[in-house]
Amino acid sequence: MKSLLALLLVLLFLPLIAWGEPATLIRPTELKKDPATDAPTVAELAENTVVDATERRAGWTRVKAAAGEGWVKMLALRYGANAKQGESGLSQLFNVARTGSSGTQVTTGVRGLEAEQITNAQPNAAELKKMQGYAATPAAAAGFASQARLRPVAVEEPK
Amino acid sequence: MIRLVLVLALALPLVAALPAQAQFNFNLNRAIESVKNLGRATAEIDEKQEVEIGRDMAARLLGAAPLVNDAKLQRYVNQVGRWLASQTERPDLPWQFGVLDSPGLNAFAVPGGTIFVTKGLVQRMRSEAELAGVLAHEIAHVVKKHHLKAIQKSAQASLAGDALSMLNSKSAEARDKLIGFGTEMYARGLDKDDELEADRLGVVIAARGGYDAYGLPAVLQTLQGMNPQDSSLALMFKTHPAPGDRLDALAEKMQPTLDAHAGQPQLAERFRSFLGSK
Repeated sequence: MKSLLALLLVLLFLPLIAWGEPATLIRPTELKKDPATDAPTVAELAENTVVDATERRAGWTRVKAAAGEGWVKMLALRYGANAKQGESGLSQLFNVARTGSSGTQVTTGVRGLEAEQITNAQPNAAELKKMQGYAATPAAAAGFASQARLRPVAVEEPK
Repeated sequence: MIRLVLVLALALPLVAALPAQAQFNFNLNRAIESVKNLGRATAEIDEKQEVEIGRDMAARLLGAAPLVNDAKLQRYVNQVGRWLASQTERPDLPWQFGVLDSPGLNAFAVPGGTIFVTKGLVQRMRSEAELAGVLAHEIAHVVKKHHLKAIQKSAQASLAGDALSMLNSKSAEARDKLIGFGTEMYARGLDKDDELEADRLGVVIAARGGYDAYGLPAVLQTLQGMNPQDSSLALMFKTHPAPGDRLDALAEKMQPTLDAHAGQPQLAERFRSFLGSK
């Protein structure tokens, strides 16, 4: 019985897992067979093409478009309701009409840290002390980085 | 006493005779003083004082939201953050990092090297490279002293005097006022240009740490895809440029840097192993 319920749950959520998020191209973009500039081009996608975006690999995102499947430059994509900077209620309504959903994620309704909370806050010395106790030494941090084979790279700040 | 009366007797007619002149001198002196203060405003808070202000401001932010009660997660974020800070021009600050127990999506940089990120934002991340991108953006604010400069400007603008004398003041009230300018910054936000600069330098710092440079853009894209009416985003959206604009700015200026370091590790599994601990 329990396993049947689990199976039902999996089936219920399967479409959510398998489908990507609706996204829009903000400029004309080549749909590539693989996540690389020199990969073969599957199709030329026009600006404002709506695609289904799934995984990201480095600077590339895998998408499903009407013209085919492949990879596009990640920064050419904007997700969901406010894809084209239109963050008004009207553009959201339009989005409902277009994709059948009000956006990629629903409003959670939780209230985060508010401006008033910060301006009215009283100092919490005990938490500050606790935080200092969690600090890492440069040597410990370097050791932790090298465990994951992270190596420092020389990168200049662009002017 | 007799001497004082004598001086007054001599001086009074002079002042009475030249009231306009006296007033003019007075105003001029004040104006000169303000200009001097303005000139001092950007330079004179030294590192020790910066760390001191930062400590007070960090304690206040922790009063708004405490740390997530998860030592393993807190130590993890400190190791990632400290490694990144070591790749900057200010490696020797007393860097410390904390995950705030708030469902809101946000991150804060405090002068002197204290960085906060909310639990709500960490839960939306998919890899250590994304965490590194956000921490690196905040580290960039500290490296560039964005908040410190804004506090100094704020002290000037309110005619409260210069920040340094407020900091050195024995009066608790003056000090409190200065820390107040600081915390206000987190409710009001920095200049847009400061945020965009921190995005660019954040990408650079994460790449220097050996991470996939697309971590920060990936988080921005997550934010961009969320419903902007979501109340957990309220403060972040109030205090930062729209994520779509930030992505546009990165695409315009940082594409070569991003692509040169795109193949570096994302460490999604290590991230999940620490995030899943509680």
